[in-house]
Amino acid sequence: MLHDVALKTLFDQRRALVGWVTSLALLVAMYVAIWPSMRGQPSMSDFLDQMPEAMRSLFATTGADLSTPVGYLQVELLSFMGPLVLMLYTVTAGAAAVAGEEDRRTMDMLLSTPVSRSRVVVEKLMAMCVGVLLLAAVGLVSLMGGGALADMGLSWPDVTAAMLHMALLALVFGTLALAVGGITGHATLSRAVPAVVAVVAYVVNGLAPVVSWLEPFQKLSPFYQYIGHDPLRHGVSWSSVAVAVTTVVVLAVVAVLGFRRRDVLS
Amino acid sequence: MPHAPVVETVGLTKSYGETLALRDLHLRVDAGEVFGYLGPNGAGKTTTLRLLMGLLRPTSGRARVLGADTWRDSVHVHRDVGYLPGEPAFYRRMTGVQHLEYLAHLRGDDGADHGRALARRLDLDLSRPATSLSKGNRQKLAVVLAMMSQPRLLLLDEPTSGLDPLVQQEFQALLREHTTRGGSVLLSSHVLAEVQRLADRIGVVRAGRLIAVERLETLRAKSLHHVVATFADGVDASEFAGLPGVRDLELQDGRLRCSAPQSSLDTLLKRVTRHHVVDFECAEAELEETFLTYYEADDAA
Repeated sequence: MLHDVALKTLFDQRRALVGWVTSLALLVAMYVAIWPSMRGQPSMSDFLDQMPEAMRSLFATTGADLSTPVGYLQVELLSFMGPLVLMLYTVTAGAAAVAGEEDRRTMDMLLSTPVSRSRVVVEKLMAMCVGVLLLAAVGLVSLMGGGALADMGLSWPDVTAAMLHMALLALVFGTLALAVGGITGHATLSRAVPAVVAVVAYVVNGLAPVVSWLEPFQKLSPFYQYIGHDPLRHGVSWSSVAVAVTTVVVLAVVAVLGFRRRDVLS
Repeated sequence: MPHAPVVETVGLTKSYGETLALRDLHLRVDAGEVFGYLGPNGAGKTTTLRLLMGLLRPTSGRARVLGADTWRDSVHVHRDVGYLPGEPAFYRRMTGVQHLEYLAHLRGDDGADHGRALARRLDLDLSRPATSLSKGNRQKLAVVLAMMSQPRLLLLDEPTSGLDPLVQQEFQALLREHTTRGGSVLLSSHVLAEVQRLADRIGVVRAGRLIAVERLETLRAKSLHHVVATFADGVDASEFAGLPGVRDLELQDGRLRCSAPQSSLDTLLKRVTRHHVVDFECAEAELEETFLTYYEADDAA
């Protein structure tokens, strides 16, 4: 496991990954287990309809119908808790990648080997991609498994698409943490900036349909790229994938350039 | 390039904002040489070594290690350099041997076996988690990690801090083997005693400036001795004044006290023996004192 920086990073994350995998699987199982009792409650949809429009827009995806399995999952799992778990993993990993290693003063040792700073950043990003894809796969398998048991009639391609978009969303914020760490070397800042940006992006995407001046900004929100096209019904949106991948690449380049031009903190 | 210097810095300067950590450093270390880099804590020793490792970006000037620029070509530099940080830090939940294997893989060679042999010589248990080791054992692990790839240059920041005397002896033996193979060493310390056992040349850095570089023999000739001579008969202070390098001369109740460099001891002793001597003491001062005596004035100027 200690053959290169990427594998060693995953080796470091092994306990954390087991924790995230377990909590994600339990989360999905919990929501799926609640579904049968929700299904027979049309009043839930009424409840949603009676919510102020802004609230509904913020906490539920537009047009979500709680009485259908897809609508239920969208509101309960995809719009908040699922992305939260994946983003907690990626932002932690992104902040630990450069800034965390400087914080613990191990960066001097790592960089005393013939490994370039660019390679350190890129390999740690690779490890983060593997980790988040693992989490997305666990989400997919537990949703499909649980969905089959609860007779939710979910389709593999659409759930796969939703989890792919969720993984990309998390990667965008994880790479943002990596970039802040690359530029500044401060671990706390590397966690705080993506957290604040994520909240703003979430609110912008959620409120844009009801707040007119926010509307032009909606498409900038990574949450719009994630769920704006309703992946559980419409599958993969390749233009959204392209936007997310481009964002990740740009932030990775920023991380590399930022880290290459400054002193290693000690 | 057989005569290319192993380390060469030209006007190397590093400042952090307003603080000037290292000013206009010109330094050269040759193949097979042990260079002792001496100075009080905070003088700029760690800054120099981290500049040489490409961890810091020079504010101005440049540094070359084995012909490669330390900032732009640091990967190339690192292939042939072993580095021991001033405050070694290790990964949590990783044993000594895991550190060894990881760094060996990153170096792309099989330094791990040599590392294990080094650990045995230093009596270091590699199976324990690195962060749970005692200060001395952490230092041993850092020594092993720096030396395991048998690099051409060792950059050692306070290498013997925390090592007990027996381990220090073994460490010195390791350094001698390294230089016998033609390897070079740049080691920093704030204690002259440890540097003088190892170094061929010594550089003194104070407040970010290299104020003196001397060969150890030259330094020894200058090394101050505290001389106390008690005479039976009365003597005249003027007899001893004016000897080259003799300072702090005082004569009181037939007792002469002074400090003299090694090179003046012969003349001084001959003057002393012209008289009836009751008692005579001569003790070598700490080399630090020597340095302070000779260079502090220059530094202030």
